[in-house]
Amino acid sequence: MTTMHSPALEVAPRPRRWPKPTLLIGLVLLLVLIFAALFPQALARYSPTDFDYQAILKGPSAAHPFGTDNFGRDILSRVIHGTRIDMQIAIFTTLFPFIFGTLLGALTGYLGRWSDAVVGRIADLVVVFPFLVLVIAIVAVLGPGLMNMYIAVSAVGWVSYWRLTRAEVMNQKKAEYAQAGRVLGYSPSRILLRHLLPNAVTPAIVYLMTDMSLGILLGASLGYLGLGAQPPTPEWGVMVADGKNFMATAWWISTFPGLALTLAGVTFSLIGDGLADALRPRA
Amino acid sequence: MNVKRMSRIALSLAAALTVGQAFAATRGGQMTFGRYADSLFLDPVLNDANLDIWILTNLYDTLLQPTADGKGVQPGLASAYSLSKDGKTVSLTLRSGIKFADGSPITAADVKWSLDRARNPDNGAWVGLVGSIASVAASGNKVTVTLKKPDPSIIPALATFNTGIMPQKLFNAAPGKNDAEKAKAFAEKPIGSGPFVLSEWKRGSYMVLKRNPYYWKMGEDKKALPYLDTLRFEIIPDDNTRILKLQAGELQGAEFIPLSRVAELKKDPKINMVLFPSTKVNDIIMNNRPKLKDGSANPLSDVRVRQALNYAVNRDALIQLVTFGTGKPMKSFMSSGTPLFDPAQKGFNYDPDKAKALLKAAGFEKGLEVTSMATSGSADDQALLTALQQMWGAVGIKLKIEQLDAATKTARYRANDFQMRTGAWTDDIADPSEITGYYAVNGDTEAAHTGFTDPAIEKLFIQSQQETDKTKRAAQYRQIQTLYAAASPTIFLFETPYAVALLNNVKGFNQIPLGNNIFEATWLAK
Amino acid sequence: MHTSYVLRRLLQIIPLFLAVMVLVFTLVHLIPGDPVSTLLGDRATPDIVARANKELGLDKPLLVQFGLFVNQLLHGNLGESINLKIPVLRLIGERLPVTLFLTVYAAVLGVAMAVPLAMLAAVRRNTWVDAVIRAVFQVGLSLPVFYVALQLLTLLGARLGWFPIGGYGENFGEHLFHLFLPALTLGLNLAAILVRTLRNSIIEVLTAEYVDFARAKGLRGSVIMTRHVLRNALIATVTLLGLNIGALIGGAVITETVFAIPGVGRLMVDAIFGRDYPVIQGLTLMFALIVSLVFLATDLIHARLDPRAELS
Repeated sequence: MTTMHSPALEVAPRPRRWPKPTLLIGLVLLLVLIFAALFPQALARYSPTDFDYQAILKGPSAAHPFGTDNFGRDILSRVIHGTRIDMQIAIFTTLFPFIFGTLLGALTGYLGRWSDAVVGRIADLVVVFPFLVLVIAIVAVLGPGLMNMYIAVSAVGWVSYWRLTRAEVMNQKKAEYAQAGRVLGYSPSRILLRHLLPNAVTPAIVYLMTDMSLGILLGASLGYLGLGAQPPTPEWGVMVADGKNFMATAWWISTFPGLALTLAGVTFSLIGDGLADALRPRA
Repeated sequence: MNVKRMSRIALSLAAALTVGQAFAATRGGQMTFGRYADSLFLDPVLNDANLDIWILTNLYDTLLQPTADGKGVQPGLASAYSLSKDGKTVSLTLRSGIKFADGSPITAADVKWSLDRARNPDNGAWVGLVGSIASVAASGNKVTVTLKKPDPSIIPALATFNTGIMPQKLFNAAPGKNDAEKAKAFAEKPIGSGPFVLSEWKRGSYMVLKRNPYYWKMGEDKKALPYLDTLRFEIIPDDNTRILKLQAGELQGAEFIPLSRVAELKKDPKINMVLFPSTKVNDIIMNNRPKLKDGSANPLSDVRVRQALNYAVNRDALIQLVTFGTGKPMKSFMSSGTPLFDPAQKGFNYDPDKAKALLKAAGFEKGLEVTSMATSGSADDQALLTALQQMWGAVGIKLKIEQLDAATKTARYRANDFQMRTGAWTDDIADPSEITGYYAVNGDTEAAHTGFTDPAIEKLFIQSQQETDKTKRAAQYRQIQTLYAAASPTIFLFETPYAVALLNNVKGFNQIPLGNNIFEATWLAK
Repeated sequence: MHTSYVLRRLLQIIPLFLAVMVLVFTLVHLIPGDPVSTLLGDRATPDIVARANKELGLDKPLLVQFGLFVNQLLHGNLGESINLKIPVLRLIGERLPVTLFLTVYAAVLGVAMAVPLAMLAAVRRNTWVDAVIRAVFQVGLSLPVFYVALQLLTLLGARLGWFPIGGYGENFGEHLFHLFLPALTLGLNLAAILVRTLRNSIIEVLTAEYVDFARAKGLRGSVIMTRHVLRNALIATVTLLGLNIGALIGGAVITETVFAIPGVGRLMVDAIFGRDYPVIQGLTLMFALIVSLVFLATDLIHARLDPRAELS
């Protein structure tokens, strides 16, 4: 179970003159998520981890708008507190792969030859190696939990960014402005960092948004196998998994965290589409 | 055909029908039973796991059999048995006319060979259960088992899966250079002595057992058991899917129903949700050693701390939270279904004040921190430990949960590298010696790896292992249980039943407290 | 024509294979836990564990074990499962076809859903049709696989009774029937990604200058659609499928568990949790081989479809 890749072909649609609401809506939703992640106490009425034996498996009500789970914990509060965890997952499963992958992609795309070949072979190894074996190996050595999940995902995730950026840099290298830079006698590092990378990074940034929701999903899948976030951490994917035994009797346990997952997915996707518009190649 | 004759036929037919109704059982048909995982190795001696053990007796019959309540023993392939006065010789008489599933006779030689194989120290994990046997002799229909010393658990041992009777000739005819290879080949398509015989096995997917037409036991209709023609196991690892499949009528039975679903399924009019009494105890194993593996001091070496932890557990609340009201509190280290369980045992009541006092006496009035290993991905472990976190937190004990995948957890535990861990036990034999030898005696496995040892318990256990007088043995076990509870090397939690959901038309299925699934008298009502 | 290229690519698989071998062997043997004590559980005495380890040769030094593993491999033998006590090759032979069937089925369903819908969304871009198509797949992409699987199973399997609940069936027809819901689960996930990417690439083609030119030349819409748009969509689809083959096979793990399908995904999970070294090693090598071959195949198809692509 690796994350699905959705790379190079993610090309920005044609330029449009008027600003689209997509990005705006995306950013507003993102602000809401960030606010909930930073100040969960301001929004949540209960502790996400405290039991209430008097309120076990209660349906949505005024006291508990999203109902309670099998420990009497307030689902709404857990969903709100879960925002922080899931935003963390979105960031930490993608940040390192993004930085490392794009820089490496720019470098090997520019230098080519043996550096490209070496990294290419390593990337092959990563891609053909079953992700699950790697995750469980890491988890077995370091223990399950979010941090170790980040390590496992990062060990694999950089490949997509490397591919995207490398391909883009190789294209741009042929572009006129790069040739011009070379004629003007700019140093390779200046051409690479100041001219090529900014132009070549667009697909990677657009992909980053998709990758963030895939990261959250992966967290949920690993949670299903007991390798993701550990209880009582209120992580949305794990909450959905926890609720699966109560689907017939207490639908609210898995439905509301599921909605939260969808909301986050939509947010990232809107921003991704908006960014694709805004960041379209200037060349 | 004249009218008189016709009516006679009609009459006898009616009579047959009434008789059938009186006995109720319907013969024939196929039952499909959903299991959560597939068996690994269908060898009575060399198997390792409950996945095998709990269905093995359907394939291999034993000389004696556990009774339906799992506490006693009844005749099996042997129609009669007796223990000599000195307790050192068991004489068994084989039932006449018994046959293996291929129709070949079960001889005393097969029995001797099977028992010798079961007690061969090179053969697997269960040798200890028959370790007291010195020799087995066979002649005619008589089998004599001679013991090194009196052993009160020898009778139940002859009713336990690992003494299942196998056909010597067929085993030896299996391909393979040595016994280990032959065992593998034989176990893929075993011919045994049980009520069913394996007919098809698609690993990880399904297993089909056919009725053994030569089985000796009689049904209510005075014809040979089993009632079912076919028993099919389907492997469905996901709990939800197993239940959905049962509700859709694609299965007639499903095992390991999560306790969280029991109440809901009890309300389903199509389903008979059964909670079979078990010998399963759920506890927390503590490391009792003065120092942990990493060299740090271990507060759990103080008996007062261990008692405090026990008193700080609200078992009734746990039973509601973790077992959804289906469990009952543990009163002793062994289950109340284990023979010689002492009903006078009180266990620990919930008394946070006493716990605090004990902690204070031990010098921990400011509280302390303990760490427990849990199996990652286990909903029960998670529920249990998060609840304990709250209960112990109330008396100033901070519980840290360390989630590990099962293999790592086992490895750490076996290396005594832990402070606490979630644990569970189910008896394999209808005798208290197995669980006591593991939990209370500092033998090979160091009292469930706690490191606990009590000379008085050791002495009592050795005595009880040779005590043939039932009353005396019971007294010894009472004392062992009292001493153990006082020293509290483990934390008693709760006993849980086996939750099996059946369609309403399934009759006569039993899962005995040892876990064995008994399908020999199962039938499907029309 | 591309024989030398194909040969070179095949040769490249060999060092990759060696690297995978070393990596997987090291990983499985160095992680804590071992097959014997995991299988025997807590009760077995150290004696029994030691004896079983000796029988399996797990007491030998790691380097020796690695040598034996390589030697076995050279003889076309992947060893024997420690837990199931049958040869790994036979296990793979039994289970792999199931997973491949599921994967191909999922890919077919995914493409069948994604291509027409992506084209529709692209042609009707920025209308409500586009919005609905994208929203539906976005939701599909945001929910965990096990949740989608369970919902499909509950609704289409249990509630409506249209499909059997789990299982694999005995013949081709039954496979198609039994695996429909799991393939749909995986296919939806794949389609969600395909739709997103395809829609953009089709819009790009539709608005590209050569299409304008073709239109100016008076080519009919349907001709433009098949000659340019469909071809480009196909190229993009093949590339994406190739890239996602690993994820698709990997994603089968959870789908196989929920739908009780006896494939390699479930086998892999059990093997890893049970530390069944030979099975993990065998499955990993098999996985690496399949993914490498699929990559090669996609590159070749790509070259065939897209005259601009060069094989280098």
